[in-house]
Amino acid sequence: MDTASQPMVRLQGVSKVYRRGSVEVPVLESVDLSIAPGSFEAFMGPSGSGKSTLLNLISGLDRPTAGVVEVAGRDLARLNDAELADWRAGHVGFIFQLYNLIPVLTAAENVELPLLLSPLSRAERRQHVAAALEVVGLSHRTHHRPPELSGGEQQRVAIARAIVTDPELVIADEPTGDLDRKAAGQVLDLFETLHHGLHKTLVMVTHDPHAAERAERIHHLDKGVLQ
Amino acid sequence: MNYARLAWRDLGRNPLRLSLTVLAGAVGVMAFIFLRTVVDMFYSGAAAAQVDRLIIRNKVAITQPLPLSYFPRIAALPGVTAITHQSWFGGTMGESQRDFFPNLAIDPSSFMKVYPEYTLPPGQLTAFQADPCGALIGRKLSQRFGWKEGARVTLKSQIYPGEWTFNIRGIYDGTRPEVDTSALVFGYRCLNERLPENWKDQVGLFTVRVDDPARSPQVAAAIDGMFANSPYATLTESERAFQLGFVAMSSAILTAVKLVSNVILAIILLVIGNTIAMGVRERTRDIATLRAMGFRPRHVLLFVIVEAAAIGVAAGVLGALVAPPLLEGFARAVESQFGPMPENAVRVQTLVLAALAAVGVSLLGAVGPAIRALRLPVAEGLRRVA
Repeated sequence: MDTASQPMVRLQGVSKVYRRGSVEVPVLESVDLSIAPGSFEAFMGPSGSGKSTLLNLISGLDRPTAGVVEVAGRDLARLNDAELADWRAGHVGFIFQLYNLIPVLTAAENVELPLLLSPLSRAERRQHVAAALEVVGLSHRTHHRPPELSGGEQQRVAIARAIVTDPELVIADEPTGDLDRKAAGQVLDLFETLHHGLHKTLVMVTHDPHAAERAERIHHLDKGVLQ
Repeated sequence: MNYARLAWRDLGRNPLRLSLTVLAGAVGVMAFIFLRTVVDMFYSGAAAAQVDRLIIRNKVAITQPLPLSYFPRIAALPGVTAITHQSWFGGTMGESQRDFFPNLAIDPSSFMKVYPEYTLPPGQLTAFQADPCGALIGRKLSQRFGWKEGARVTLKSQIYPGEWTFNIRGIYDGTRPEVDTSALVFGYRCLNERLPENWKDQVGLFTVRVDDPARSPQVAAAIDGMFANSPYATLTESERAFQLGFVAMSSAILTAVKLVSNVILAIILLVIGNTIAMGVRERTRDIATLRAMGFRPRHVLLFVIVEAAAIGVAAGVLGALVAPPLLEGFARAVESQFGPMPENAVRVQTLVLAALAAVGVSLLGAVGPAIRALRLPVAEGLRRVA
């Protein structure tokens, strides 16, 4: 099979229904989607439209009620929870709206976290951490803890953490939602670096039209339906 | 960085809460040690009992006397290597019970043969045996009241009327730490000579040593058989059984104390479990983030267990270290009412048990929060805002 022609992400007939007691709440309905390797795609839509659920399915954090989710040619439904965790560790980097850094760890330690799951030696891990922090321009903030960093710096640490394992897929859920315009701009500049310079596949959910403009393709979701 | 360091750093999220939890756990451990030590002290007599000694008392009740005339008859029985007698005097220095200490009339010529764990210089023993109203005091009693050799002590007995003055002829020590040295013993002759005719030549109990502890039941049966049809029938039992008989009188109190000590463990469990639950709840999003990155449930479990174990170890060690000096201080404060605390009353086993119990209940307390943390779906955890 020609892997180069394979989409990085392929969703076919994907639906997701949550149960609230005896009530079924449909969140996604028959979503078909294909994301090419190395592309930068944004998903927009009102609250409750299913954006975050879609991200969770693509990143293997959740399972669809129906349909197929394939990432890099792998059907995620065939992986059990432990295999899915291992797969995420090696293939997906996460960026969250509220950064989700561990407050008691330094910037370097936060970035090092995903590498604890790898077979790298301590020295190799340090090299990777230094490289990732250099990419986001925070080599001088290595030993600072999250409370000592600005929001923009924290998100850049989170980006360094997302790319330190060199994943093919980077998932960003409202990455600029908690930042001022300047910091948001710096984060989006970094996304372009990841996209153009490091050829990562970036999938971003955002409410911010300025952020979405940076993507190659913008998808709109409304009431669980991809427009 | 490694998992252990991550778990350790995680502990420092809320230093004040952590310190207060450890402190609360340590106080619980101290209370546990205190209560267990009280229970141990009840059993200390039984623990110090010798396997080759039998106690012979009046079958009707321990307060009833036995005739001194039994002495040579028991001594002549096969298997008996030594015999002595003693009588509870119940003396106090005044009306108050605050200065209470045990005091007994003994047979100076035979006592040390049956109780070799009491030692004193030969000269003092000779002086004691030569003085009809001579007395020996234990080292602790000597230190408690500052009494020295040659001092005269006057007691009022609750059993025998009048004032009784004794000459301290020696100070005895114990060959083992658990030997009680808080008593005063004096020559039986001093007591017997002043008693009215109908009270004379009666003793509280006899103690015998046997040549073969394995044959103690036969010797006991022979003694009791010999006096079975007399007005003063005897009940002979091992020294341990005799001591446990005293413990049995306080069994309701001991059961309550043991129960309370277990309740304290339950309180430690709740306190530490609550802290860990709060910590886990606050870290829900961090745990979900770690899980999203690929950390497995076992990693999360490790973090929770490390936290629980660290709190348990800290509380256990702190409590076990502070409890003995605190108990000694407490014992000194109440010494006048309850008498001195025996040497090494706080047993190492009790300290180890308390520390291990603290770790055990801490781990147990972590089970609920850990299960909740593991069951929470990652996507849901990520939505939580601390």
